[in-house]
Amino acid sequence: MKKSIIISLLSAAVLPMQACGWFDTHNSYLFSAYNHQEYSERVERICDENWKAYLGSTDEYFWFNADNIIKAARQKGDALMVGYVENLRKYLDCVDVERDKQHEWNYPSKEQIAQQQRDLQAIRTYALGKTKSKLRSQHALLYMRCNMMLGRHQENVTYWEQTARDFINTVYKEMMQNIYAGALYKTGREAEAAELFVEMGDCNSLMTQFYKRRSYQAIRQYYQQNPVSKVLPFLLQDFVNNAQEAHDAGEGNFGGKLFIRDINKQEAWQMRNLCEEVLRDRKTDVPCLWKTAKAWLEYMFGDKQQAMKDILQATQLDGTVRMKECARVIMLYLTADQAKDGTAFDDYLADELQWLDDKQQEPGNDGYYYRAKDRLLHRMLIDRYANRPVTALALLGKAQDPSYYPYTDTMRVEQLEKYLTFTNTPAKSTLDKYLKANIEKNDTVLEDLIGTKYMRLCQWDKAIQWLQHVPASYYDQCGYRLYALVRKIEVEPWITRQWLTDEDADKAQQYNWHIRENLKLNFAKDMQMKEATLNILSGKALEQRCYDLAVRYAQANYRGDCWWLMRDSKSILDTVRVNETDLIAKAMEYLQQAAMSSDVSLKKKALFAMGWPEFYSEGNYWREDVWNSESGEFEKRVNRQSPQYRAYEGLVTITGLDPQENDYVTKCDEFLQFRTYYKTHR
Amino acid sequence: MTRPYVICALVLLLAQLSACQQEQAQLPEENAVYYWRTELVLDSTERSFLNQYHINKVYCRYFDVVMSDDGQPKPNATITFSDTLPEGVEMVPTVYITEDCMHQQHEGLAEKIVKRIVQMNETNDIRGILEIQIDCDYTSKSRKTYYDFLKAVRQAMDNLLQPSTLHPQPILSTTIRLHQLSMPSPPVDYGVLMIYNTGDPRKYKERNPILDYRDVHPYLGRLDSYPLPLAAAYPVYQWIREIHGIRVEHTVDASEILRVKRAVEKQRGSLKRTIISYHLDKDNIDRYKPETYEEIYHH
Repeated sequence: MKKSIIISLLSAAVLPMQACGWFDTHNSYLFSAYNHQEYSERVERICDENWKAYLGSTDEYFWFNADNIIKAARQKGDALMVGYVENLRKYLDCVDVERDKQHEWNYPSKEQIAQQQRDLQAIRTYALGKTKSKLRSQHALLYMRCNMMLGRHQENVTYWEQTARDFINTVYKEMMQNIYAGALYKTGREAEAAELFVEMGDCNSLMTQFYKRRSYQAIRQYYQQNPVSKVLPFLLQDFVNNAQEAHDAGEGNFGGKLFIRDINKQEAWQMRNLCEEVLRDRKTDVPCLWKTAKAWLEYMFGDKQQAMKDILQATQLDGTVRMKECARVIMLYLTADQAKDGTAFDDYLADELQWLDDKQQEPGNDGYYYRAKDRLLHRMLIDRYANRPVTALALLGKAQDPSYYPYTDTMRVEQLEKYLTFTNTPAKSTLDKYLKANIEKNDTVLEDLIGTKYMRLCQWDKAIQWLQHVPASYYDQCGYRLYALVRKIEVEPWITRQWLTDEDADKAQQYNWHIRENLKLNFAKDMQMKEATLNILSGKALEQRCYDLAVRYAQANYRGDCWWLMRDSKSILDTVRVNETDLIAKAMEYLQQAAMSSDVSLKKKALFAMGWPEFYSEGNYWREDVWNSESGEFEKRVNRQSPQYRAYEGLVTITGLDPQENDYVTKCDEFLQFRTYYKTHR
Repeated sequence: MTRPYVICALVLLLAQLSACQQEQAQLPEENAVYYWRTELVLDSTERSFLNQYHINKVYCRYFDVVMSDDGQPKPNATITFSDTLPEGVEMVPTVYITEDCMHQQHEGLAEKIVKRIVQMNETNDIRGILEIQIDCDYTSKSRKTYYDFLKAVRQAMDNLLQPSTLHPQPILSTTIRLHQLSMPSPPVDYGVLMIYNTGDPRKYKERNPILDYRDVHPYLGRLDSYPLPLAAAYPVYQWIREIHGIRVEHTVDASEILRVKRAVEKQRGSLKRTIISYHLDKDNIDRYKPETYEEIYHH
C-alpha cells in the first residue's frame, strides 16, 4: 500500500538538515544484531500481498489503486469493502494535503486544511462504527490513523489498550501497534514506546527517540532501571558502532574529534565492563550479543587475545540467529587479523567467505553480510595477502569489488600477467577453488592493461607484444573513445591545447566516427622506432628527434591531452602512480637536450616547453603563494631554483623582455607574468 | 586644466563618491540569523538568543526546490510552522534551489515559488513579508539561467506580494558563495556572502571543510570590487556527514570564524553592517561562548 504511507509521529522530530557527501571508507559496522529491514518497508510489502490476494491477481502489486479494488469488491458484492476502500481513499486524500505541504506546488490553503480536518473527523466516525464488522482490523486501523492525524494520541492509547490489542494478529494490527507506540511517545510514556519500536524493528523511530541518550552512562542507567529492556541491545549496538567509528578514526581514516559520539578508550572500556556485569548478572536472554560486544570492544581497544577468547565463547551462547551470525562474522574478522598464514587459514577463509556469499543471496537480508565482507576485504584481507597479490586481486575480482580495477591498474605488471594465467588454469587449493568459481574476468581487458602497463614503463617491445592481441573495436567501447578520436599525439601541447568541444561530440555522432585501428599499438610502435634510432642520429636531427619525443611524452602523461594512451580516465588529483615511469621527467630530459640546440628556433621552443605549467606542481613553480603559519597569511614566494624559472630566464635571453606580440610566447600568461617580474627583479 | 575637464572630473568624483556611499549605506546595520530546520519552533534559549544579540531578521528556509524524477523542479522538505517569531523580528522566506534546477529554464518556476511562499504565509498567518531570498550554488554553467530566473522572481514578487508603505518595492536577495564572486553579479537588491562550506569535503583531514582562512584567502581580493551590496554570513553550525553508515562531524573553532571575519571586513568594510549567523539552533548557541557571538555580531 505505497500510498498509505504511515506518517510516523516521530518523523516530525526537529533535526537539523545536513548536507551529505559520500566516499567509501569500508568501515561498515560489524556489530549488527538486527536485520535492518525497516518496519515500514516490511508492512508495506505485506499490505501489497493482501491486496493482490483480494484481487485474485498473479501480477506483482506495487501501487494501491482504490478504483480497482472498489470495482472488484462490487463484483464480489462486498459492500463492506467498498465502504472501507472509499473511506480509505478519503483518508489518503487527507494525507495528500500533508504531502502537498511538503512536496507540491499547491500548498494547501486554510480552507483546505479545515476541510481536511472535517474529513478526518467524518472518516474517524465511520471507521469507529465498523470496528465490530468483518473488516474490524482494517477499520480500527483507519480509526487510529485518523486519530493520529488529528493529534488525538490519548484516544489511540486507550483504544489500543482496551480494544485493538485483542484483535487477531494481522499486518493491520501491527500497524495499529506502531501508531500506538507513537501515541505512547507523544503522551510521555517513552520507555514503553521504545520497547514497542524495538519489538517491531522500527529503528528509525528508535534512533529519533534516543538520539541524545546513547552514552555509556545513559545505557548503564537504562540497564539499572530495567535490565531486561528490549531497548538495551539496540542501545548497545549503537554504542559499539560508535566505538568502531572511534577505533577506525584511530587508524587514521578520520582525523580528530569527528564523531557524533566521540567514544574514547575509557568509555569503551567502561562499556566492556558493563557487558561483563550484564553477563555476570545472567538477566539477559541474549548473552551472545553482550559477549560479542565485549569481544569486539576488547579487540578494538587493545586486548586482542582476550577478544579472541571471548568471541569463541560468544558463538556458543544464547542469542537470536542474527546475533550468532554477528558473532561468527566478528570471529572471522578477528581470526583474519591474528591467525598464522597457511593452508589452515586459507581453507577456513574460503568456507567463511562462501558462507557470507550464501547469506547475501538469501531473500530479505539487509546487506549486512555484503558489508561485513567488504570491511573484511578492505581492512584485513588485502593487507594480509599483500605479498600474494594474485590472491588479493582474485579476492577483489570474486567480490566484484569496485577496487578490483584500481588494484589491477596499480599492481606490478608481472603480477598482473600471473593473474591472467591464474584465471585460466584449474584451481588446486580450497581457497583457489572458491576464488575461481564464477570469477568475472575479461582477457582482452587484461591484455590491454598489461600492454598499457608496459607502455607506462616505456618498455615498448613488451607493450607491442601484448597490445597486438587487442582489437581496435575494443577501444571503440572505451570511455575515452572521443578523446582518442579527436586528439593528436604530435601536437605541441604548450602551444596548442586540444580542448574537446561539443562540436567534436556532435561530429563524432553525426559522421559515425569509429576507432578503426589500435592507436595504443601505433603509439608504442612509433615510440619504439623513435627511441631505437636515436643513437644513429646526431646534430640538428637528433635535437629535433628529442623535441619530438618530448612532445609525445608530454602528450601521453596524465596532464597531457593524450592521457588516454596510458590511463582510462583522468582527474585533477592525478599524480605519477606506482609502477610507472614519470613521463614528465622523460619529456624534460629530452627537452633539455633539444634546448642545447644551436638552432635558435628549436632552442626557443624547447625552453618555452620547459616552462609549461603542466610540468610542475605545488612546490616547484617559479612563483607561488605559500602559507606562512606564523603570520597566518599567504606570501608570494619566487623560487629561482625552479627549472621553470630557469627555463623562462633562458627564454627571455632569446625573446628579450618585450617580444613581438605575434610571437607564440606572448600567448602564455605564465610567461608574461614572469617577464613582468623579471624586468624589475632580475 | 580647462573648465570642461574640471567639470568632468568633478562629475566623475561625485559619481564615485555616490557609488561608494550607496554601497556603504544600502544595507542597514543589523543582526540576523538563518533558520534552517524543517519545523519552526523556538525554545527559550533560541528566543533569548534573538533578544540578547538584537536579531531583527530571520532568514527562514521555507522549502527546497529539487529536481524530481520526472525532470521537473518540485518543492521538498517544506517547513512546518509550529511557532511564531518574536514581535519585531522580520521573517525573510528563503528558498534553496539545487543547482541542477538551473541547467535549463523551467517555465513558470519563479511564479510557482513566489505563489507558494505567499500561500504558505496566508495559511500560516505570517504577515508583513517584505523580502524573499533565493539560495543557489550557481556555477558558470547555470549562471545565466539563474539570473533570468531571479528576474522572473522579482517580476512575480511585484505581481504577487502586497507592497507596504515602508517598502513599496519588495526586496529580493540571494546568497553569494565565494567562487561566485568572480562572476557578474546577480540581478537582486543585495547578496549574502556565504562565508562557509569553503573547503573540499574530501580533504577534510587537511582543512576544515566548513571554514578555513586559507580557503577564503584567494577570494579576498575580489571582495572590494564586487558591485552588489553584501551582507556577511558566518557558520556556527556543526556539519554531521553520514558516509556509508558512518557519522562524521566538523566544527569550526571560534578563533577561525573571527579571523576570517577580520580579514573580509578589512577588505570590504561594509561587510560589518549586516551580519548573519548560520544557523539558529540551541546546539549552535551552546557551541560557542557568548563572547564569540558578541564578536561575530560586532559592527
